[in-house]
Amino acid sequence: MVQLSYSQINRDLLKTMSPPGRVYYTILVLDLLVLAWGIFAWGYQIRTGMGVTGLNNPVGWGVYIATFVFWIGIAHSGTLISAILFLFRVKWRNAVYRTAEAMTVFALVVAGLFPLIHIGRAWLFYWLLPYPQRGYLWINFRSPLVWDVFAVGTYLIVSSTFFFTGLVPDLAVVRDQATGWRRRIYGFLAQGWMGTDHQWRHYSRAYLFLAALATPLVISVHSIVSWDFAVSIVPGWHSTLFAPYFVAGAIHSGLAMVLTMLIPLRRIFQLETYITRDHLESIAKLLILTTLIMVYSYLTEFFIAWYGGNRFEQATFLYRAVGDYALAFWFMLVFNAIVPLLFAVREIRRSIFSLFTISILINIGMWCERFVIIVASLAHDYVPFAWRTYKPSWIEVSILAGDAALFFLMFLVFAKLLPVVSIVEVKELVPPPVKEEALQ
Amino acid sequence: MGIDRRAFLKVIGVGGATTALVGCGAEPPEKLIPYLIPPEELIPGMASWYATVCRECPAGCGMLVKTLEGRAIKGEGNLAHPVNQGRLCARGQASLQGLYNPDRIREPLSRDQNGHLHSISWDEAEGRVASRLADLRRKGKADRVAFLTPLLSGGLDRLIDTWLSALGSRRRLRYEPFAYEPLRTANRITFGRDAIPAYDLEGAKFLLSFGADFLETWISPVAYARGFAAMRAYQDGRIGTFFYVGPRLSLTAANADRWIPIKPGTEGFLALGMIHVILGEGLEVPLPQEERERLKSLVKPYPPERVAIRTELPEGTIFRLARAFAREKPSLALGGGVAMTGSNATSTCVAINLLNYVVGNVGKTVRFGPNVTLANLATYRDMLSLIDAMNGDKVEVLLLYSTNPLFTLPQAAGFREALRKVPLVVSFSSFLDETTAEAHLILPDHTFLESWGDYSPREGIYGLMQPVMRPLFQTKAVGDTLLSLARQSDPKIAQRFPWPSFYEYLLEQWKELQKRLEPGTPFDTFWEQALQQGGVWKEVRAEPVRLSPQVFELALKEAAFEAKAEQALYLHCYPSLIHFDGRMANRPWLQELPDPMTQIVWDNWVEIHPEAAGRLGIVEGDVVTVASPYGEVELPAHLSGGVRPDVVAIPVGQGHTAFGRYAEKRGANPMALLPSKPEPLAGSVMVLSIKVTLTRTGKRHQLVSPAGSDRQQGREIAQAMPLSQLGEHTEEDHAPKQIYPPHDHPEHRWGMAIDLNACIGCEACIVACYAENNVPVVGKERVQEGRWMAWIRIERYVEGELERPETRFLPMLCQHCDHAPCEPVCPVYATYHTPEGLNAQVYNRCVGVRYCSNNCPYKVRRFNWFEYSDPKSKQYAFPEPLNWQLNPDVTVRGKGVMEKCTFCVQRIQAAKDRGKDEGRPVRDGEIIPACAQTCPTQAIVFGDLKDPNSRVSKLARDPRRYRVLEHLNTQPAITYLKKIKQDTEQV
Repeated sequence: MVQLSYSQINRDLLKTMSPPGRVYYTILVLDLLVLAWGIFAWGYQIRTGMGVTGLNNPVGWGVYIATFVFWIGIAHSGTLISAILFLFRVKWRNAVYRTAEAMTVFALVVAGLFPLIHIGRAWLFYWLLPYPQRGYLWINFRSPLVWDVFAVGTYLIVSSTFFFTGLVPDLAVVRDQATGWRRRIYGFLAQGWMGTDHQWRHYSRAYLFLAALATPLVISVHSIVSWDFAVSIVPGWHSTLFAPYFVAGAIHSGLAMVLTMLIPLRRIFQLETYITRDHLESIAKLLILTTLIMVYSYLTEFFIAWYGGNRFEQATFLYRAVGDYALAFWFMLVFNAIVPLLFAVREIRRSIFSLFTISILINIGMWCERFVIIVASLAHDYVPFAWRTYKPSWIEVSILAGDAALFFLMFLVFAKLLPVVSIVEVKELVPPPVKEEALQ
Repeated sequence: MGIDRRAFLKVIGVGGATTALVGCGAEPPEKLIPYLIPPEELIPGMASWYATVCRECPAGCGMLVKTLEGRAIKGEGNLAHPVNQGRLCARGQASLQGLYNPDRIREPLSRDQNGHLHSISWDEAEGRVASRLADLRRKGKADRVAFLTPLLSGGLDRLIDTWLSALGSRRRLRYEPFAYEPLRTANRITFGRDAIPAYDLEGAKFLLSFGADFLETWISPVAYARGFAAMRAYQDGRIGTFFYVGPRLSLTAANADRWIPIKPGTEGFLALGMIHVILGEGLEVPLPQEERERLKSLVKPYPPERVAIRTELPEGTIFRLARAFAREKPSLALGGGVAMTGSNATSTCVAINLLNYVVGNVGKTVRFGPNVTLANLATYRDMLSLIDAMNGDKVEVLLLYSTNPLFTLPQAAGFREALRKVPLVVSFSSFLDETTAEAHLILPDHTFLESWGDYSPREGIYGLMQPVMRPLFQTKAVGDTLLSLARQSDPKIAQRFPWPSFYEYLLEQWKELQKRLEPGTPFDTFWEQALQQGGVWKEVRAEPVRLSPQVFELALKEAAFEAKAEQALYLHCYPSLIHFDGRMANRPWLQELPDPMTQIVWDNWVEIHPEAAGRLGIVEGDVVTVASPYGEVELPAHLSGGVRPDVVAIPVGQGHTAFGRYAEKRGANPMALLPSKPEPLAGSVMVLSIKVTLTRTGKRHQLVSPAGSDRQQGREIAQAMPLSQLGEHTEEDHAPKQIYPPHDHPEHRWGMAIDLNACIGCEACIVACYAENNVPVVGKERVQEGRWMAWIRIERYVEGELERPETRFLPMLCQHCDHAPCEPVCPVYATYHTPEGLNAQVYNRCVGVRYCSNNCPYKVRRFNWFEYSDPKSKQYAFPEPLNWQLNPDVTVRGKGVMEKCTFCVQRIQAAKDRGKDEGRPVRDGEIIPACAQTCPTQAIVFGDLKDPNSRVSKLARDPRRYRVLEHLNTQPAITYLKKIKQDTEQV
């Protein structure tokens, strides 16, 4: 990294929080419109019934759950980058982890909405929570959906705490630059951070512990989400491979999403000095690893279906490959397991264009993976008489769009209210400033 | 001053009475049930059952109607009635939706100059008819009154006849679209009897049907289904053999060991060829020498080799069929269905009669006595003469009762034009069907469930009908209307009809019946008994018959087919199991019932063989113009191997242009294609006598069915086993392995056994379940989307080659698994296992995550995708007054919750309560779920699996037992018994 002074870093990174221009507001308004449309669609769905979706009798879960799993997957790379790479003292994470962590929190929020959107009586969602009431009605701890509630809830609490903790020293920097009521708010959020040695000692200890706490969640949350499927008896779902397969997939999609978000961000905010090509290349290298895990998982799935000799499993996997959802299946296979292998070529993983394109393809592929696993398995399960296909309706598309709009809304707000790159940690990468006299 | 309770009640009482009196004008008084002094027979919440007769088709099955607080809520078969012995078909189950049909005519209607119908009072309506009749009598033209009714017998039949003759007319026709004229005529020619005999299916060892769809619509389907199931039951190492000869794979044919797709119109040749073989090989019963010789010479022109060419069947088949038919005594050949309505229909039926005769079936499985009442019907030729009379201005008043000739007659017969020439058309119909929509005056009758009456489907059975509830609307029994018209006529007529109501008239008729049948019994006892058991029945002895000399004049001609073009395909129109002749197309339950063979709902189609379709470039769902020399219709094509490649088939009964919201605009009526000319001997409609051309219109039409795949893809969902393996050793059940401790069932473990060898796929269970459990009808679009709500379905699978399909039917409903996959996945315990082994669904607790449905391998759970239960909802499934039928013992489910079969838990509870009241345990067989109750073949048995001696436990140990998807270790409470495959290679 080029030699930068602390004050230069402060200036550069706080520039992202300068008052937004017309473009920003235009995007914000468009985003709000999409969100409003999505909220309207949801309202219509609650009022009329789940029949406004394309869901039907064999296919009880569709794009809502696919997107839920997708967002949860996205949420994983944030913690991976911020916590796991922190524990491993990987230097390149410092510039990108803030964005990745924000993505985690936001993705969890939008993912968490889907179970509510998807249930038939959304107004009774709180029945899924264990709370004391007169009727002594309790939840069923054997149901993976209840595990989900806990897994996702825990993850949301831990990751947002982690996110906030990492923010504290930066908030102090923002506070110091701010005036008026903003100063008061940031002052409150900065929790009286003065940058004393004492504070630093506690801070780094706390951050380390939180990182250690968040790390197992990366594994556990998506394992539990995968058990929604693995615990059932639906052919194509009932597989012991699912937990590692889903975790790898989550990291795979999460890393891709980090790329998708970072590349425009560094361009827009002119952060090329901080988020360099090397950073992006490191992510791409990590993607090669996850891609290989995906390849292995896909092969294992098909091998076991064939080798297991279970007629129903075999039919399900054949149906995935050549049936009504074959297109999504081949997208999944090509985009997730073949295209990212191109990163093995140095030029490709250092080209911003190909990084961006491939990251988007992986996002598409990973969404398709969830769609194929959920829909193609349900559409053709045990009893052939009950087979039926599913196609999402415009209501579902609207709600998905609204949900994505919510994600981007949070990101837009985040970009203007909080430093998108960790000021403190970037400073760690440059040599500490030394007084001129001391040098002499 | 305070008002005490007594004073308050007084005020309320007086006020209520006054309101009721004031209300006596136009509106019928609405009566609350006076609970203060409850009527003895009425306990709120306790059902009253009334016996009556189902009048939805001429079969005349006995019916018991359950009423609660004065509303009929469920119809069931009358166990005491000899015809159906407690069972009902799908149509019988749907009769309640006639009573509560939202499109019923609610008051008398009259047509004004502009052709609009508007309501008038009963006095005015009757006055108009009476004055017209008086006018005609004055002019001496009383014979210009014609009365058209369906098949009636007993009181109303006699009243109509006497009323009409008192007026001075004899133009009375009992019209049914399927009147079996060729069969009757053939019986006259063969045996000198213009009658339809009793067929004993149960007693037959070898059954051969020449296109008679006796499991669907032919004569008395419920009775025949029972007989058929008995014949097919495994006994002494054998089951009865059944072959079906006909151009289409009907539901009946699908239940046969082998479907022989014969060339249309050549069945008679096959019968004669078989007689040729039988007489040639000396397999016949001893016959008088002279008769034998004459028969021999009669069949001489029909040696098997020539018959083989005509029928397009292999010669060997004819030999084998003939030998098996003669060997397996007693056998039975049935004929006279719609497949046999060509130009040679009567001769064909004669040939079949002879076939029965030579092997000695007549007097054994074919018995003349008790004969079927259908023989009293007018022939189609009689209808044609009525049309002639109408066209010749010889009919000035046409009275129509419960009949829809405009829809059911071939359009070429010209009934529509003739009807326009009649100055006054009066309809007594309950619905605005096509013919009624053309009437000038409509005097709506009660439906049969609100009426007094009697009906005798065959000799010796006098079914008694009583109103099961007060009339819903401002309707009037047709008998009462006629009596009232007679009173308004001149005194000479009036004094011949002294009865104040039709009820009194009926009583008098039954007094005569009592004198004839049971002179020793006081009438009151006789009447009460009849009311209770739904009628009286007397043994009727079969009368011996001899061959009539006329039969030897039989000359079987090749059937003639009219066609517009050389390359045309035979047209086969048939009454379907669900819609029959179309008189019940306005019942949503039936519209949503999948056709048993094609599985299509809410529609009409033309069935075409894929080979022919390929030649014509037609694919599934293409709208094609079906053109005959007499007309053309546009229908969507359905490709199926269930017809011969040179035949297209169209079900009758859809294509209504009137008849209410559920019936209208569904496909087209194939009657537009049929010829007007009657069959020469019997005077019947020649249904199978034309060839049609099919051309694509370029339009597409979505045919909707709830079925996913026709094939089970080797998954062994519906299993069958060859008869020869039945005696062999069967493997023992494995003890299930599981981590969780097994469920504890302290008292009961409810279970079911379903015999696939008995199930004929008639789908009566589905409608019974709809009626019992308030299952919403969702409409064609929703079925297409996969939102069909049926709790029980009949999965129809096709096995084997397209040329020789083997059809299997499997009733699929919640299996109430002991190790249910749906239970652990529910996050809120909305589905759980009861101590009695039921897989219960708590609607109130369900939040609708649908995980249970995903995890159900049987896919029997149904989600409420819309609000079907709220009258304010657009998707409300029970528009007034259909909601009157809702069973108060069963929750009507709201949107967003999962539902499914409960094993009729309300019936289980009722039986347990009854047992508790009487201080005894529940008896085996006391609890009968709605599906099992109505099953015509008794394929479904319900009971307690904890009791090793219960019927269901015994069946669960049957060597044919299996469970669907047993390898999943769900441990279902339902045991299926494999279908038995007859070894047909020997035949």
